[in-house]
Amino acid sequence: MKNMKRSICLILCLLMALSCFSAMAAGKIKIGVLVSDATSSEALAFRAYYTEYIAKAYDVEFIYSDELTDAAGEKSAIDNFIVNNCKAVISFSSFDRPAQIDQCDAAGIYYAVATGTLTDEQYEEYKDYEYYVGAIGPSMDIEFQTGYDMAAYYIDQGMTKFGMFGGGVPYYVDMHIYRAAGMLTAMVEKGGEGANYKGADNKYAIIGQIYQDGGIDTGKIGSLELVAYVGGYDFNDAWFGKLAQMVGTEGIEVILTVGSGVDVLGGFVAGSNVKLATVDSFTPAMGEAMKSGILDYMAGKYAASVGPIFVATYNAVNGAPIRDNDGNALALGQGFWVATNSEQFSEYSAVDSSNTDPAYTREIMDKYAGMGVSYDDFAAFVSQYSFDEIVALKK
Amino acid sequence: MGRQTLKERIPAFASVIGLGVLIAAYYIIGAVRDANVEYGLKAIVNQSVVVALVATGAVFIYTLGSVDISLGAATGVSALLGAMTYNATGSLWLMFFTCVGVALAIGIINSSLASVFNLPIFVTTVAMMSVLSAFMLILIGLNGKGDTIKVKARDVRPLDTIEIKVGILLAYIALCWFIFTLLPTGREAKFIGGNPLCAFLSGINEKKLAVIASLVSAVGIGLGAFLSIVYAPTLNRNTASSIGMDVIIAIVFGGMPVSGGPRSRILAAVVGAFSMGFLSQIMSMLNLGSGYGQMIKAAIFLLVVFIALGSRRGKLLTR
Repeated sequence: MKNMKRSICLILCLLMALSCFSAMAAGKIKIGVLVSDATSSEALAFRAYYTEYIAKAYDVEFIYSDELTDAAGEKSAIDNFIVNNCKAVISFSSFDRPAQIDQCDAAGIYYAVATGTLTDEQYEEYKDYEYYVGAIGPSMDIEFQTGYDMAAYYIDQGMTKFGMFGGGVPYYVDMHIYRAAGMLTAMVEKGGEGANYKGADNKYAIIGQIYQDGGIDTGKIGSLELVAYVGGYDFNDAWFGKLAQMVGTEGIEVILTVGSGVDVLGGFVAGSNVKLATVDSFTPAMGEAMKSGILDYMAGKYAASVGPIFVATYNAVNGAPIRDNDGNALALGQGFWVATNSEQFSEYSAVDSSNTDPAYTREIMDKYAGMGVSYDDFAAFVSQYSFDEIVALKK
Repeated sequence: MGRQTLKERIPAFASVIGLGVLIAAYYIIGAVRDANVEYGLKAIVNQSVVVALVATGAVFIYTLGSVDISLGAATGVSALLGAMTYNATGSLWLMFFTCVGVALAIGIINSSLASVFNLPIFVTTVAMMSVLSAFMLILIGLNGKGDTIKVKARDVRPLDTIEIKVGILLAYIALCWFIFTLLPTGREAKFIGGNPLCAFLSGINEKKLAVIASLVSAVGIGLGAFLSIVYAPTLNRNTASSIGMDVIIAIVFGGMPVSGGPRSRILAAVVGAFSMGFLSQIMSMLNLGSGYGQMIKAAIFLLVVFIALGSRRGKLLTR
């Protein structure tokens, strides 16, 4: 009995102490952040930019969801944000964006999409919702182009035998399918006369073929050849065996990956002559991989790329939403930084990893935070996403 | 061997007292943090009801001293097939019956395998979990519309009310309570969980009880699958994937030993599920970040279980 009383007192004291501690944050604008990835280096970089730079610069409090795995989790997390009186939700999670928008609209809190976009159909449906701020991130066209540019980079160097890691392709992850389709389209377009992938010879047919198959088949594409393919994230012995086998495939010159290339293939590629290209982010681990020669090409998201969507959300919460001439929400594309050597990577990474002088600083963003910011001015600001353009903005 | 004193009986209600403490803490912290506690209560019901349904049914299996780790995958497959049925027919009733029917079919397969091959239910559910997880991917592939299977949200929105969810939960609890408490099934199951050899020598048919437990549990899974679609009608390969672990935590949090036996209680699952709901909401209000939140949740979980086990420590036989 005495033990129980002590335990209950302990629980209550602990919770009260924590609530008093956390109440110190009361009064700030609260913004909920939905995340489907809480542990990757890319996700941690986004989080650090928000919590260690933006939160201090703009006196806002970010409340993060747990790592979400489905639409039900997203709905529960938004419920939790509403309970916490969040004024807005910034979403990095895409299991059911329409449901997220509907839920936020019904609750009267603003909703914005970070590092992604709505489909054209979805945008048409939600563009005039009062509480839908908009989306800034790589559109599917940009994802496709990212894959295309990666493959084209090597084809233009005269390489002909490729391997491919499809990541989320078997799970129908749209961005991975579009990146893979971009790679295959580059091979078809640069593979000479009559080149095709399973009969498909254009972007749309290739995308459709991948969606139909839920995977990618190896084979000749004109004068080029996809000699090996592994998809999924099984993380079991058989799967790692396939990855090792892919690296050891006779004649293979480069492995194009739709994501996570270094994490899953780095160990096998090390010491081989096979080049590795991936889509990831500017983290120390990637820097090491590039320095050691494991990674040869990286299209990377940079942490501060989520700055502009914060500005748009901040404006909306403060009564100055940015809308186009027809009153529609934002739909702006934003691409990657591409590094093809260690020096370039280090230069990008130094800017990207700074918590005091990140790519998008408060000084830059303040020009677009507040009343009277036009859609066109803001769109022009977002469109200058390359490293050189951002450096120019800082001057 | 006289009657237990109040002091001796209180630890048996530790889980209920724990729930009461969490509710009190929820209101106090909500006031300090200026949270919308009324909305939070609805959120807690929404977030807890599926786990409560599945866990209530699973109490039958746990009472036998067995563990079913395919609960999440079974709920996921039932929900996916239910959603596909709705998309093909447009009938919510057919969706409902598909969810329950598929769950029952899985339950029958589980218990039949256990009976035919004389295997523990746990072993058959390990195999079933792998099969069902793979089957979910196949279903999503067959659906051919990306990585999800969707039901139009506006079609199920009228059912997404607290009244309907609580109604379904109460009806199922009443059914389970009737079977568990008023029929010999519950007593026999407790007997098997407490001492299987003695139960066998007393003529209790363990296989028959395993089938009954699987079927009762399957109804809970089917209802949980149905409400999962109603709550979030976009389903993917991870739908309900956390339910298996949530059910174990709910049952232990509710004060019932996972080893089953005579201390098994139907209401343990509900108390545990809602305790988890309140605790999650409290952690969310404190905005500690998922890492610290999980650690504190784990510490509180251990404390509640420590208190609940207090009355049993040092005793040879449970009653």
